[in-house]
Amino acid sequence: MILPVNNTNQKNKIINFSAKSNDDKKVIEYNHDTLLKNNLATRTDIGIDRLLNAFTVYPAKGLKGSRNANFYEFLTMGNVPYLIGSLMLMNVFIGPSNSYSHFQQTIAKPLGKKLALGVVFYGLAKNLSKSLISKPIQMMTGIDIERPYAKVNYELPDDVNDTDIISIEHHKVFESVEFPRWDLLYGDVGKGEPRNFRYDKIAKKLGMGQNLNDSDQEVKSRIKEIIIKSNLAKNISSYLWAATGVALAFQKPWENFFNVMTFKFWKGPEFIKSLTSFGENFVKSAKELYKGEGHGLTKHAGKILIGASILSSIAGVANTMHSSHKPSKVDAADVIKKDEKYVVN
Amino acid sequence: MTTNLIHNYIASGSSRKPISGNQKAQEPPKKPMPYFDIEHELNNRTFIKPLEGKGHLINGSIFNMPALMVKDTIYNTKAFKHAVNGEANDHELGKLNDVGLKIGGLAIAGYLFTRKQTPMTKGMEFIGLGSFLASMAIWPKIAIQLPAYLIHGINVQKQYEDSFGRKKPFYQDPQFIPWDLYSDKEIQKIGDRLGVPKDIPNRRDAIQSKMKQIAIQNNTLWMLTAGFATPVMSALICNKTEPYLANWLNNRKNKKADKILTNLDKYSEKYQTNTISKKLEEVIALYGNKPVDDALLDNITGAFSSRMDLVTSESIKEDLRNLMITEKAYSIDDNTAKNISINLQKLLKNKKYTDKEIKAVIPNEAAMIQLFRDNNFINPSKETKDFQSIKNKIAKAIQRNISSYNKNEGKNDPLDWHFIQQIIANNQRAEHPIEKELYKVPGIKFDTTIQARLRDLAKISDDFSAKNYALDEYALLKIGSAPETVIANYWNNLSKDILNIFGISFNDIKNIKNERTLVGNLLRNRIETIVSNDELYKKVMKELVEKIAVINSEIKSSDLATPLLKKEDGLTDAQKLANRSAYEKIVDKEFNAYANTVKEKGFTNLSHAIAGFNPDDTVGTARNIQKAFASDRLLGVKSSFYRLINSLDFYRRIAKNANGMESIGKYPREIKEEIIELCKIITLQGHSSDNATKFYMLRNPHPSSDRSPLEVQNGKIINKYFGNSNGTTDIAGDKYFYQRAMQLMFEEKLDDETTKILEGSAIKDEVTTYRELVLDKIGGENYMMKPRHRIRPDSNASSELKFLLTGIAPDEFLFKSGQQFYNSKKWFKIFGTFGAALLGVTVLAQFFFGKTKNQKQGSTK
Repeated sequence: MILPVNNTNQKNKIINFSAKSNDDKKVIEYNHDTLLKNNLATRTDIGIDRLLNAFTVYPAKGLKGSRNANFYEFLTMGNVPYLIGSLMLMNVFIGPSNSYSHFQQTIAKPLGKKLALGVVFYGLAKNLSKSLISKPIQMMTGIDIERPYAKVNYELPDDVNDTDIISIEHHKVFESVEFPRWDLLYGDVGKGEPRNFRYDKIAKKLGMGQNLNDSDQEVKSRIKEIIIKSNLAKNISSYLWAATGVALAFQKPWENFFNVMTFKFWKGPEFIKSLTSFGENFVKSAKELYKGEGHGLTKHAGKILIGASILSSIAGVANTMHSSHKPSKVDAADVIKKDEKYVVN
Repeated sequence: MTTNLIHNYIASGSSRKPISGNQKAQEPPKKPMPYFDIEHELNNRTFIKPLEGKGHLINGSIFNMPALMVKDTIYNTKAFKHAVNGEANDHELGKLNDVGLKIGGLAIAGYLFTRKQTPMTKGMEFIGLGSFLASMAIWPKIAIQLPAYLIHGINVQKQYEDSFGRKKPFYQDPQFIPWDLYSDKEIQKIGDRLGVPKDIPNRRDAIQSKMKQIAIQNNTLWMLTAGFATPVMSALICNKTEPYLANWLNNRKNKKADKILTNLDKYSEKYQTNTISKKLEEVIALYGNKPVDDALLDNITGAFSSRMDLVTSESIKEDLRNLMITEKAYSIDDNTAKNISINLQKLLKNKKYTDKEIKAVIPNEAAMIQLFRDNNFINPSKETKDFQSIKNKIAKAIQRNISSYNKNEGKNDPLDWHFIQQIIANNQRAEHPIEKELYKVPGIKFDTTIQARLRDLAKISDDFSAKNYALDEYALLKIGSAPETVIANYWNNLSKDILNIFGISFNDIKNIKNERTLVGNLLRNRIETIVSNDELYKKVMKELVEKIAVINSEIKSSDLATPLLKKEDGLTDAQKLANRSAYEKIVDKEFNAYANTVKEKGFTNLSHAIAGFNPDDTVGTARNIQKAFASDRLLGVKSSFYRLINSLDFYRRIAKNANGMESIGKYPREIKEEIIELCKIITLQGHSSDNATKFYMLRNPHPSSDRSPLEVQNGKIINKYFGNSNGTTDIAGDKYFYQRAMQLMFEEKLDDETTKILEGSAIKDEVTTYRELVLDKIGGENYMMKPRHRIRPDSNASSELKFLLTGIAPDEFLFKSGQQFYNSKKWFKIFGTFGAALLGVTVLAQFFFGKTKNQKQGSTK
């Protein structure tokens, strides 16, 4: 990659004609695309980074119409309407109720709060339920479909003084099923890692055998299939879980929680009571959602919804695990017929 | 399926080169052929021809939208299939995410649908979802795409379809924009519109970069605003859609109700469940030929009450008792024998006989049972004429025992049979040790005859109750005290209209909405303004009458009426019968028919409970209750609004002709002022209880004798005396004062304008009758304001009737509708304003797009 001259930020070599100081120069975390660990710390880190960028850097770039703006930034900014929309939705329901008469408030407020809770549960259930697909698959296949990596982008400078031309994006290795970042999954031979150790593990888990010569080539088509199927499963099931979350929020026991609800965590006992009440009413509401009231469809709607969500997750995992590319039972050594002639380019 | 270049190359290659025997079997060939010399191929690369691009821009419009939707659906279905098989591509998976979103949305709406009670709220769940999805789609169109097009001439939401049939936004990825899909002509045209200088080199590039910049800016703006806009827009759409849905549902419901009445026989089939018959069969199976007891009666009654009200089914119990129990027979069983033995033993014990003697003389329980069995006395329906033989058998047994005893143990102290016989006989039946038991359990069998009668009754009752249920449904749909019934919708619509009609605005009630007294004052002032202005009064009264009269088209008097509000003076009985509403006629017909049939079958109590002793019975028979339930509800609602008309008219009469009111004409000015004030309060605030007990008018006990005319200004009385005296008190003894007040409100002729407006209205007669009815029923009440002040012969009106006639007080009606009006207006003001401001800012921002430092430099070159 050809870097602009003024990006050479090694000490003592700075050629800078502007008066602008270089103190605020960004510390470069990565200088090439880097595979990251999929743990809580990294995920939190990535989440915060993306969220901050979505509300600050990317809109600023976008509103200027920067030529460096890209699809990733556009997609990341998709979090903005999601979050603002959620808050707005709550506001639409609860907002004006303070000016209602007291009696009407007693009716409007719990309903509004249930709707608001529904918005929160929608988001939580949608995101958490994805683990119901990804975790079993990871356990069964060794493929971490959520594995993140940091992508290093070198941008075109806006002008001659623009030295901040690196932008880090957080992607997932299997974000694209057409172009997964296979390259990142190879071991670093320099560090003593076997080149195919990740693929070996997957091949072993998938029952394709151990000590394969080209485990990467063997498993790639299988991984691709798993990624596609699990993606479908996540897409459909997560929204059903989200719907279940909303239905859960609409149960009556939450009204008890609203009475003691507080976010003032500095008020210890009250906050603890609020948390306990949340737990209790969560369980009660879940039971009520399952049990239902009335008769016929009305009574069983909750069960149907919960059932559909569970079923979608199970079916999703089952379909992902069911492969049309079953590993061959024939030993690879037997495929080559010794008495035939083969030509290798 | 479109093949890609490599496939194409391989496929064409395979046809060019000879194929060795081994590879023939491999189809399609997966690897480049052996002896493939890439250098050679590249040097002669004329054979590699790119496929013709199939990508094209999509020109979406309303006309091809359905076609595009079908195409998208097919694409999504295929994508789903591919994904299930693990063969989908990124684009397809992305589309499936949208599908998931919609499925989830439907799941939410579907669940909430089941939780809602009424069609309206159920329907709104789906409208809510639809409006949300629509808002997500519409906002970028109206706030981003349209203004951008108008300002810059670029469609920033342009879509294209690539060679693989994948539909994508043209500017989705700014780093990859398929510019070649735009022809040079199109780009140059856009460039002209964008004001890109015509004589610059690489003009197309300059235009494209500007287009890209504007697109990026707009996409960003879209992301920043959508979160605010979508929920608000969705809520606003729902808010505006709701009345239409409500209206549509109301018409549908009303038509459905009308069909029930015109087609009762057919409609009632739906309720033909034969529940009573089924339950009766259960009872019959349980009891068979067992003796009748109270539990059986309860069970049979229970079978009937499963579809009938309790009063009616209890009357069946009475009939059953009469039908099934006679005094000619009683049930005799082992218990009877056992108890007789015990009773006899007790009796002798009381007479100081020793246990030994008793044991020897009286047959013990087992022996007595044996005796009953041996003589075939055990019978669930033993006739009383056989009882003597039972007594004789017992006597003989005792006598035999005595003689046996006397021969053996009692030689020294023999027992006297006659004496013991006397001891037993000297008892009334209730105390008699034997008869008491014999006459204990009445004895008629639940035999097949009575079972057949009951089956017959059950069948008729099943038919009747099916019709009754259908009639109930009709009444519920029309006038039920439930959400979204025809009458509830009418009431709600009037609640909304009433503020408009009286010209009361959001600001008027903003600060007073929670205080009824203040709302009442507002209404009074408003009415006084209205009535003092001829044109305004005509307009307001006309609108009011029109809106109120809607009730008579929603619920036609010919279908369902309030008999009390009908003008029936001078009609013969036959005419009155013919004048009944369809509902009354059907109820009369069905209930009378049922009552007559069951009477013929011997169920007289039931017949009376259904239809009374004669057709004119006004008592609480099931038939009358069925009719009154409907007409009372209707009366209550109509009275509320006829009262409003009368109140407005009263204010008008005072404004225009206060000094011409006959009822108070003889009073001096001060008393006139007092009466008018009282009436102004009553008409706007009076409840039915107020009319009976609470109107204490604080008056001057020594009123001035000034007879000068009242002064009226802008609808208000300019009081010269009222409120100025030092001490005031209620003068309860002045019955004329209260009577004149009543006459002033309800008996004085209506204002000419009011009469004219009512003349052309469907409710004219009912309003007139209403006023008369109030005079008769409330004015004829002993406690009309004060004891013995009534102005009509004693009406004996029930509290309920007085309550219905009073209806809701206008100030209370306005108070309630005012709060609703405020809430929805307030909400609308907040979010409507917010939405409008957001739209404004979003559009305004776009005027600054496409102008950057670089561009300026470029254009000034």
